[in-house]
Amino acid sequence: MPALLSAILALSGPAQAGPDKAHRVQAVFLFNFAQFVDWPDSAFHGPKDPLVVGILGDDPFEDFLDEVVKGESVRDRPIVVKRFKRVEDIQECHVLFIGANEASLLDGRLGSLKERKILTVGESRDFLAQGGMIRFVEEDGKVRFKINLDAVQEADLSVSSKLLKVAQVTMTGRE
Amino acid sequence: MAALLGSVARAAESDSLPTPAQLKGLSLEELMDVKVTLASRQAEELSRSASSIQVITRDEIRRAGIFTLPEALRLASNLQVARIDARDWAITARGQNASTANKLLVMIDGRSVYTPLYAGVFWDAQDVLIDNIDHIEVISGPAGALWGANAVNGVINIVTRPSEEMDGGYATAAAGTFMRDLEAVRAGGKFAQDLHVYAWSRRFRHYPSDLPDGSNAPDAWGLSQSGFRSDWTPNPRDRLTVIGSLYQGRASQPTTSQTQPSQVAVGQIDMDGENLEARWSQGNGEPAGIEIQAYFDRTARLIPSTFQEDLRTWDLEFQHRFPAGDRNAITWGAGYRLSQDDVTNSAVLQFRPAYRDLHDLNLFAQDQIEVWPDRVRFTLGARLQRTAYSGLETMPSARMAWTPDSRNTLWAAVSRAVRAPSRIDVDLYVPSQPQAGLPLSVEGGPDMGSEYLTAYEAGWRTRMGAMMSMALSSFYNRYTDLRILEAASDSVAVIANGADQDVYGLEADAGWQPTPWWQCRAGATWLKKDFRSQAGHAQIPVPGISGEDPDAQYSLRSSLDLRWGFTASVWLRYVSDLGSPAVPYYSAAGLGLGWAWRNLEVTLSGQDLSERRHQEFQDGSRTAMEIPSSASARVAARF
Repeated sequence: MPALLSAILALSGPAQAGPDKAHRVQAVFLFNFAQFVDWPDSAFHGPKDPLVVGILGDDPFEDFLDEVVKGESVRDRPIVVKRFKRVEDIQECHVLFIGANEASLLDGRLGSLKERKILTVGESRDFLAQGGMIRFVEEDGKVRFKINLDAVQEADLSVSSKLLKVAQVTMTGRE
Repeated sequence: MAALLGSVARAAESDSLPTPAQLKGLSLEELMDVKVTLASRQAEELSRSASSIQVITRDEIRRAGIFTLPEALRLASNLQVARIDARDWAITARGQNASTANKLLVMIDGRSVYTPLYAGVFWDAQDVLIDNIDHIEVISGPAGALWGANAVNGVINIVTRPSEEMDGGYATAAAGTFMRDLEAVRAGGKFAQDLHVYAWSRRFRHYPSDLPDGSNAPDAWGLSQSGFRSDWTPNPRDRLTVIGSLYQGRASQPTTSQTQPSQVAVGQIDMDGENLEARWSQGNGEPAGIEIQAYFDRTARLIPSTFQEDLRTWDLEFQHRFPAGDRNAITWGAGYRLSQDDVTNSAVLQFRPAYRDLHDLNLFAQDQIEVWPDRVRFTLGARLQRTAYSGLETMPSARMAWTPDSRNTLWAAVSRAVRAPSRIDVDLYVPSQPQAGLPLSVEGGPDMGSEYLTAYEAGWRTRMGAMMSMALSSFYNRYTDLRILEAASDSVAVIANGADQDVYGLEADAGWQPTPWWQCRAGATWLKKDFRSQAGHAQIPVPGISGEDPDAQYSLRSSLDLRWGFTASVWLRYVSDLGSPAVPYYSAAGLGLGWAWRNLEVTLSGQDLSERRHQEFQDGSRTAMEIPSSASARVAARF
């Protein structure tokens, strides 16, 4: 049964230069989220402060995300990438990507990130149910994302209609 | 915008990954349209799989100057691939290699290509147009729980490309000093909404190999094939595939004359066959899905005055996978195969009865349990098979994969695999020929039962940095009831189960891409065997009965993408000596230079350059044959 075998095998050999295709596409989506989401001024210390895209836990993007945001800015704020090992280490952050391994350990602490006006993005199964805001999924072999609008609005963030048009929107986090 | 998307789309088809600039230039809608499945979900699954798997990609095959399927299999370092002569190969994994190696399951698009005559593969008749190959999946280790009896030491599945990728035409011609010439054409197109079809034809001729004194062995051969494939995809989740091909070939074979054993005479083998396969799969890329597959295969082989066989195989299989709760992914299925084997007996080689219907039924189930989601996964499976000769067999397997972080996977497995008897084990009858040095008649044993394997495996797969990855697999195989030849009386030798063997070893595979235009791959396997006869058998020693396996094999490949469409590749392999019958160690170096310009490709390659000629395998008492160093050139055009 070729599909069974293919379902557990990859096409590329062990050597892969950098992140796989899905994570490359996700990295560019994170860049788009930074552009199409509005943070209140209170999320920044000053008008020239950078917009921080953070990665919590395992980093599936490696250099790719840094390349994507290099030299870019949103409303005069430069975009920077920061990596955090633990939730406690997070200082100023606006978009936070939470790796699959971390999300299962977060449980309940996603709520505290909401208060700090951080747009949380993840991949794990229960991400939105746990209080996460955007979840990447794969459908028809393409990258899609689901937005929990309730969680986004509770954090005082507003999402541009451009993003809402292409997202799969859910109100309560139940998919 | 269209041009940028086009380049990303081309990146989707080729093996290269899109750059930041390419993706940033896309609008949101275009970004949502980029296909990622084949590279991501399956890449994640590969890194978490609890077996020793290697995948030979289309790109690797292209760079290596390859014309036939067995040559492509050399690219998997977890396989033992020994070329016996111009036409015959001994291919297996993890030991017990023989020209009649019977512990490897080989499939082309899910259609089994091993013969129930001796449970091995006739490599001169089973081939594909190399450019039609999408990838080759090679698992070393038992996979009986999923694939049944014969998937003892490994499973190979050659997957051809889907029809929707093959619109347009393709033509290729090649010539060489060992492979003689190859011509092939292919054309494909869209025939209706969501229906694509392609058809191809290939003719291949090969020069003979060398005798040790440098003269030609009488083993030239040729094969002509034609085939087609169609795919209907009414929606992205469902697919109906129909594949068919037919072939005709002729080969010379050196035979040791009965009356004058020192003289090598030329015999001729004719082979032909056709096959047709249909497969309906529903729910691709989704957690739940169904697959139904049916195929018919006819293969015929004629060796004048010795052997003639016409084998028809009818196969029907069903498979269903579905999630159960949050943590379980269940797959189960059933299948039936009828092999109608019609042998025409001769004075020197007989099967009794000459005609036999072999029925094979199977039922299997597997549960993949996310014990700790995304970190620890258990896979439990078992297969029940009612084989043609040995009744009911059970093949259970338990596997575990632990992914402590995104770069590492540790896995371990325990499984039981079965090699069920084939016609040669039970129905064979070779009358004695005292004047030709065969004092006893050789018979298959009606009590001959299955050979069993209990395998313990463990492995580690890791990615170090963005550019380097490595996989290590270790195994400890305990075989029982292996096939031997024993004296049943003064005049009769019988095939029976009567030996045990422990085989243990290590497989290593590493890939390294120091720059985007330079990739390397290295592989090594080591193995040790301990063969023991069981008590109570008057075993007749036969050289190579425990398999002809090297203690160590090493391979190294390096490939560069140069300017102006050039690629340069070099490959090296070393195989240590074979014990009995003795074959010395050898090394083989190869070079390939490729040039691609618009829709034209030119490749020059040299094979086996480190020695003028070398022997890779000794098949019983047949004349020793050696593989000469060779060169070839190939041109291909797409339109």
